[in-house]
Amino acid sequence: MRSIEKNFFIKITLFLLLTNAAIASEIVIKVNNHTNSDYSQNTQLNQEQLRRIFFTRQTHWSDGTPIRAFVLPDKHPLHIRFSKEILGVYPYQLRSAWDRMMYSGTGSPPITVNNIEDMRDKIQFTPGAIGYFAE
Amino acid sequence: MQKITILNCLSTFIIAGLCLLFGRDAYSLDLGVGDWRAHGFASQGYTYTTGNNFFGNSQKDGSFDFREIGINVMGHVYPNLLIAAQGLYRNAGGSDTDNFRLDFANLDYQLPLNNKSTVGIRLGRIKNPFGLYNDTRDVIWTRPGVTLPQSVYFDALALRQAMISSDGGLIYGRHAIGEHAFNAEFVTANPLDNTGGASEFLTGHANAPGKMTGRPLFVGRAGYQWKEGRFRLLFSIVDLDRDFKSSSPAVSSGSIKTLYPLASAQLNLEKWSFTAEYGQVILERSESLTPDGAAFKNTSESFYVQSEYRFAPAWTALLRFDAFFANIHDRSGKKSAQLTGLPKHNFFAKDITFGLRWEFARNFLVAADYHRIHGTGWLSPTDNPQLFQGSEGDANWDLITVMFSYRF
Repeated sequence: MRSIEKNFFIKITLFLLLTNAAIASEIVIKVNNHTNSDYSQNTQLNQEQLRRIFFTRQTHWSDGTPIRAFVLPDKHPLHIRFSKEILGVYPYQLRSAWDRMMYSGTGSPPITVNNIEDMRDKIQFTPGAIGYFAE
Repeated sequence: MQKITILNCLSTFIIAGLCLLFGRDAYSLDLGVGDWRAHGFASQGYTYTTGNNFFGNSQKDGSFDFREIGINVMGHVYPNLLIAAQGLYRNAGGSDTDNFRLDFANLDYQLPLNNKSTVGIRLGRIKNPFGLYNDTRDVIWTRPGVTLPQSVYFDALALRQAMISSDGGLIYGRHAIGEHAFNAEFVTANPLDNTGGASEFLTGHANAPGKMTGRPLFVGRAGYQWKEGRFRLLFSIVDLDRDFKSSSPAVSSGSIKTLYPLASAQLNLEKWSFTAEYGQVILERSESLTPDGAAFKNTSESFYVQSEYRFAPAWTALLRFDAFFANIHDRSGKKSAQLTGLPKHNFFAKDITFGLRWEFARNFLVAADYHRIHGTGWLSPTDNPQLFQGSEGDANWDLITVMFSYRF
C-alpha cells in the first residue's frame, strides 16, 4: 500500500516539475536578419505586428525583403502555445484562415516545418525568415 | 456506365499517384523558386440514401459519384503581388458532370496603407466571396461536414455554377481598430453561367439551347470580425441580371434577374463553434420565359443553425438544422403544389444533420454525416427525374455521406 502511495507521489511530483518547466520556458520570436539591418535576432515585434505577419497581411519587412514565416505543425505543443500566448488566437483559427487563402488563391500561408530542428535550419538559412522557439 | 468506370479508375490512379509523389508530412510542395509552392487535395465520397437520389444513384448500394481533386500553385512575383491558380476535377452525380475546370487563376495586389488599413485588387478568374463557405466550398478541409448546408449552398441545383467563380475583378479593403476589423469586397465579373446547366436553371426551361449575356455579375461582401474571427458578422449579396439569347425557335429569349442576399454570424470558442446563415433568393423572369406569359417573381428562403464541438484533438462533432422553402409565402408548398401538380414536399426541405470528423493523421481525414430530411426541395432534377414526372418521390428520407480526403 505504502509503495503504491510513494509511486503515486513521485509521479505527481514529476508531472508538476515537467509542467512547470514547460510554463517556465519563454517563447522567443526569431528573425533571419542577414539582409535586415533593422531587425535584431530577438525581435521586439508586438502582437499586432505578429498577427499581421502570421495571418499574411504583411508580406515584406520595412527594407523590402519578403517575409518567409515558418510554423510548427498544428498539434505541436509549442505551436499551440505560440498561437494562444503570443498571437492570442486558437490554432484552428490560424489553420482555417490559411486554408481559406490557400484554396481560394488569395494568400500564401506560412510554411509548416516538421520539428524545431527544421525550424532552426529554416530561420538560419532563409533571408527574411521568421519563426519561434522555446528558451 | 463504362465511361463512369473508366473515370473512377482514372481518379483512383490520380489519388494513388498523388499519395506516392507527395506522401510526406508536408503541408505544401516547395517548388524551389522564391516562395512558389504547390498544394493539392483528393477527396472521395460515398453517398447512401433511403429514398431519392443525391450525387448519383445513391439508393440500394449507394453511390461513389462524389469526388473532388484539386491542385494549386502560388507564389509572389513581388512581395505584394501574388499569382495563384487552381485546377479542379469534380464529379457529383447528375448535379456536376463538368469534370475538369479552372477553379481560379488570379493576380492579387495588396497595398498596406498604414498599420491599420489595407486595400487590394484581384484580377482574373476569381472565387466569388459569398457567405462563410462559398470561396472554398469544394475543399472538405474548409467545410464543417461532408456537404455544406444545402439550403444556402445549393450543390445539387445548377445555380451553383454561377456562384463558384467568375472572370473579372475584385477590390477589397480592411481596416482594423485594436481587436476589431472591418472588411469589404466587391466583385464585378462575367459569371460562368453558360456551363453546368446554369442557363436551364435560370430560365426554368429543362432544355434551353442558347447563351447567357448581358450585364456583369456583382458580388459584395462586408463584415466585422473580432479577434481574428473569434466572432464574425457578414453580409453578402449576389446581383445577377442576365439576358438569355435563345438559339432555338421552341424557346423564347428573355431576361432573368437574381438577387441573393445572405447574412452570416459565427462564434468561435476554444472547443465550440456556433454558426448561422440566413438568405433569400429573389428570382425574376421576363414574360417571354414563362409558360403563362406573365412576368414571374419568386422569393425563396434559406437558413441553418450549426454547432461544432472539438471534443478531442483530432475529432469534431457536428449538429445542424437546415431549412429551405422554395416560396417564402408558401412554406408548406400547398399553393405551389396546386399550381404545378407536383407534390407539396417538392417545395421545401428540412434537414437535421449529425456529423463526425476525424483527422486520423496529418493531412488525412475521414468525415461522416447522417441527415434526416423532410422534403425534396433542393434535390437535383437530373438525378431525380421522377420527381418532375408525376412521382411522389420520398417525402421523408435519410442521407448518409462519408468522405475520405488527403492533402499536401
